Amino acid sequence: MHTVLSVAVIVTYVAVLTFVAVRARAAREFAEFSLARRALPLALVFGSLAATYVGPVFSIGFVGRGFKSGLLFLGVGLAYAVQNILVGLFVAPRLRLLKGCHTLGDAIGQKYAPKCQVLAGIISVGLCAGFAAVMAKAGGDVLRSIFGLPHWSSVIVVVGITALYTTFGGLRASVITDAFQFSAFAILLPLMLLLVLIFHLNGSAATFVKEASAATTAGFDSTSPIKILGLVAAFLLGETLIPPYANRALASKTTGVSRNGFVLAGLFSIVWFMVMIALGIAARGIVRGDIEEDKVLLKLVESTMPGAGYALLMVVLISIIMSSLDSLLNAGAVSFTQDIVKPFAKVPDSTALNIGRCATIVIAAIAAVGALAVPSIIDGLLICYTIWAPAILPVLIIGLWIKRPRPLAGILSMGIGTLVAIMFQFVFPSATEVPAIIPALGAALLAYMLGHWLERAYEERK
Amino acid sequence: MMGVVIVVLVVIAALLAIISGVWVALALITAISARRAIPDTQCRTDGQSSE
Repeated sequence: MHTVLSVAVIVTYVAVLTFVAVRARAAREFAEFSLARRALPLALVFGSLAATYVGPVFSIGFVGRGFKSGLLFLGVGLAYAVQNILVGLFVAPRLRLLKGCHTLGDAIGQKYAPKCQVLAGIISVGLCAGFAAVMAKAGGDVLRSIFGLPHWSSVIVVVGITALYTTFGGLRASVITDAFQFSAFAILLPLMLLLVLIFHLNGSAATFVKEASAATTAGFDSTSPIKILGLVAAFLLGETLIPPYANRALASKTTGVSRNGFVLAGLFSIVWFMVMIALGIAARGIVRGDIEEDKVLLKLVESTMPGAGYALLMVVLISIIMSSLDSLLNAGAVSFTQDIVKPFAKVPDSTALNIGRCATIVIAAIAAVGALAVPSIIDGLLICYTIWAPAILPVLIIGLWIKRPRPLAGILSMGIGTLVAIMFQFVFPSATEVPAIIPALGAALLAYMLGHWLERAYEERK
Repeated sequence: MMGVVIVVLVVIAALLAIISGVWVALALITAISARRAIPDTQCRTDGQSSE
């Protein structure tokens, strides 16, 4: 009976998702595919941003961290909220003001030079494929735990469904389905927390606080200050304006919508982290203590929800992952078309649309294959963060703010930032206790200053 | 007392998340029940659409 009910819940959910995706319509031109015609209202920008950043780390990962380290990760998570709010106040509106801009690469190309756009495009596409591989692995993990399918086939199902609607609908379909998926998890997971607090927390509020205190103390005991610093840096900078977020800033209806969307998404992240951490703390009285961090939420759902509720929440977990994956596939495809193909060939709009669609499929295929090589969800994401922040952020943020950015500064900063991040992450991982993102950011900033100074000196001599 | 305050904050956070979900769901219903999913606007210049 439970199985029939569970299958019915899953089939209903997929049917509604399909209906929503179909209502989003296929994109008919590249401007629709890449920017949804720059007509997104505030609620959809906010919902889509939140659905994109709430991936496996901010759900499964944070519940696990709440279980093991209590409130420690709430503090770390605040860095992420601050980042979103700062981007909303100072960067997103400036980005939205740029004319004819489809991607971050476009923005960098407009501010520096076309060659900088190509380099930014290559980094963006590579990082989108990397992030997508991590999401594909997480989606495969969850689907396998529901149906017991082999991991590779679970990955193919998750990536295949996501690629299907993203390929045809572009950003419009991605945002519309994100809004649906956001509504599902933003309502159901907090509802589950309330049910756990009411029916499963033995004793009272005092029990919850006792567990929170014990977990937080254990968290601080097992995490060195330098590691906490590295985590704060990764959460503050690592996901700042990654291509899907930038696309939403660019696709907002107005600069005000762009600004408010990011600020609201930042405020929502505080609320969301509290809910996830609280679920982890509440799980301490329900789930065995020696469980793996990534399995706490799955086990908690299994232990506290009846059959159909379990199936529904599992589908919601897949939604969380698919909503991040679709945004990454679309952002990577748009970046490939706009930043890598268009600078070299003048292509008509219909060809650009077809290139974008093909690129979506290719990036999805790379993500599915890459998913098998991803070490773990958190490790995979930290690698992507480590490369993204030094490679792009100094160039983008300084470029948006200073009067005359120099192309040499852009090229040197992106190139050296990427190389130093890769060196510290892969070649000499134990060279320093400091997380790779920090020296790589320092190197990128120094390279920027050097390039800026050299080019200015050259211009003055001329 | 402290325990009650923390639990109340957690409950408020859960309710705020649910309200956000409902708000986005209403916007989604409005968007997809219109003739077109997200209203197609004339291709405006950025100057026209920006505040």
